[in-house]
Amino acid sequence: MTFKTCLRTGAAALAFMASSAAYAEVTVLGWPGGPEEAALRAVTEIYNAKADLAAENKVELLFTSRDGFFDKLQVDLAAGSTAFDINLIATYSIGRYAPFMDPITLSGEAGAVFGDTVLKTMQFDGQQYGVPTDLSLHFLYYRTDLIDALLADDAAKAKYSEIATQYLGKAMEPKAPADWTWEDFVANALYFTQSINPDSPTRYGTVIQAKNLLFNMMVFHSWPRSYGGNWMDDAGAITVDSEAFRTALSQAKMLFDLGATPPDSTSYEYAEANAAYASGQVAAMVQWNAAAGELTTAQAATATTAPPAGPDGRFTHIHGLGLGLNKAAENKEGAIAFLQWLSTEEAALAYAKAGGAPGLAAETAAKLVADRPDLVQVGEYASTYGFVMNGGTSENALSVYEAQAKEFTGYWAGTQDLDTALKNTTAAMTDLLK
Amino acid sequence: MTPGRSFENAILAGPLVLFLLAILGFPTVLSLVYGFSETSFQTLTTPQFSGLRNFRDVTADPTFWQAAWFSLRFGAITAILQCGLGLALAVYLAPLTQRHGWTVAILIIPMIVAPAMMGLMYRLVLHEFAGPVPHYLYSWLGWSPSFLGPANVFKTVIVAETLQWTPFAFLLFLTAYQSIPQDLREAAAVDGTRPWRLFWKIELPLMMPTVFVALFIRFIDGFRVFDNIYTLVGAGPGGSTTSMSIYIYETFLRRGEIGKAIAAAILLFITAFVILSVAQRLLWGRSA
Repeated sequence: MTFKTCLRTGAAALAFMASSAAYAEVTVLGWPGGPEEAALRAVTEIYNAKADLAAENKVELLFTSRDGFFDKLQVDLAAGSTAFDINLIATYSIGRYAPFMDPITLSGEAGAVFGDTVLKTMQFDGQQYGVPTDLSLHFLYYRTDLIDALLADDAAKAKYSEIATQYLGKAMEPKAPADWTWEDFVANALYFTQSINPDSPTRYGTVIQAKNLLFNMMVFHSWPRSYGGNWMDDAGAITVDSEAFRTALSQAKMLFDLGATPPDSTSYEYAEANAAYASGQVAAMVQWNAAAGELTTAQAATATTAPPAGPDGRFTHIHGLGLGLNKAAENKEGAIAFLQWLSTEEAALAYAKAGGAPGLAAETAAKLVADRPDLVQVGEYASTYGFVMNGGTSENALSVYEAQAKEFTGYWAGTQDLDTALKNTTAAMTDLLK
Repeated sequence: MTPGRSFENAILAGPLVLFLLAILGFPTVLSLVYGFSETSFQTLTTPQFSGLRNFRDVTADPTFWQAAWFSLRFGAITAILQCGLGLALAVYLAPLTQRHGWTVAILIIPMIVAPAMMGLMYRLVLHEFAGPVPHYLYSWLGWSPSFLGPANVFKTVIVAETLQWTPFAFLLFLTAYQSIPQDLREAAAVDGTRPWRLFWKIELPLMMPTVFVALFIRFIDGFRVFDNIYTLVGAGPGGSTTSMSIYIYETFLRRGEIGKAIAAAILLFITAFVILSVAQRLLWGRSA
């Protein structure tokens, strides 16, 4: 091949790349891997196939690795990257990314499609920063075979009551999980732990994923919230050193100390906790709704309900993944048009049918009963039990979770006492949320 | 050197100097600016000079000292274990490796695996419900230690690091051992020197410079450990497995305290520089 031929080939390749870039002018940086990517690809195909869509507003997708995704995104946004027009955001990171993004106006249908609770997961300082695409919340997963056997056996009930008296100071009766309080959750976990009850069919009563990781704090938060706990009061004072957090943290600590959760669980995150439950050696656990398929497949007798209740009611942490507008976007008009379309019922239903998990209002979810019955439950729990802590979408929300993860896991692992953990958490949160 | 020659040299060296300035000089200057400024991701382009505040914040942060203590212990213990084991293996297996060179390739396999992958592998292998090690311990003994629980996690990461990097020390010691002149050994044998005395009085003293170099390299590597611990257990409950590198990473990216993270990195650099200088002087002192 001569030099001129090489030059011509190179020029042709560059021209092809340039024409491709001109063809797809709205670039979306999505959440890679898993159902979110498949769903986004499906709706993008529908959008790009629209006859009235200008060629320069067609959408192309960009995916990187999940590992360190939000760290990389943080750096890209701060550097004013124009590599993407639309980027992924999550409830807990909106405040951090908001300075590098533009607020958007959703379609007129958005309120009816998603409902206010879900739309709020994409809001910061009263402005909408994204279209909610996927909703995450928590289920209580339990084994119906174990619970049914316990409820049907008087001797087992007596043993349950005896264990509750010994460790919780009161005789308790086993109940159906839908009626559980957190005390019932603890009593059940103790009963199904072999080191406490040698007749237990499972090695552990529960598994608490307690790696020093911010996502694990989200799983834990439903517990103190049901006792009235919150990050801040309305005046902005940090309220984490409260009876609610003390009660929840102490109850969880009891499970660690008594071996009702695997001793390694201070190094567990999502995958390890699921593996523990899937092995059949764990009786019940609180886990993300995304695990439903995996856990039900592994243990056929698995059923789900909302997390246990406390004196203030039943709660589940919710957060959304969504897509928002990069402030440095080169094609804002095209990007806004795509985001507005994403917030329509047409897009939300297509996204759900393709495997995504949008938090939909009851009426919209009802249209998916045949295809995605699980989304009906997700939508119902989100609107009935969903909460976001005060300050949960602030600029430093991620850092607050990080600080809590460090201190709370330290308490559970026995490296510090409860007073120290709460004192350090309060100091860190005061600094972060000032 | 004539002025014309000097000009030629400047032109020839120019691209390299510019390259080094861009690759090393710019980040260094930027780090110094950020280290002495109040900087977050929001103010990357407008850092506010804050004097020594970041350094005061870092040195007043108990987590920094916890991380420094962890790194110091981890670096020292793993360096001693790896060098001890590497030396023993090199000497004990010397006859075998001399006859069958391919055995060395087998022994250094752990070193080839990326540390992050090693961390992920142990995360699977040691998992109570999915890992083979606890599985067989439960099958055979009806019990298994919690390898990654609070009581054992430090020992586990020490063992993981030692298993991976002992081959590096082994390779250094094997090379040093094989370079000892054979006539020294023969002369000692003629004088009736027993093997242990031969090792202690002749071979080990000749290998001491290599021992120091190996200890030093392994300590530095252990002190700055990041990937295998981070992928295995993260920062640990209560920050119990937070090394200096993990501290800097989390401060920078997770908490967005860029100035503070850079200040910690500068302190780490100064510490490493001092240790390097002292070690170099010691080595020179021995060889002089």
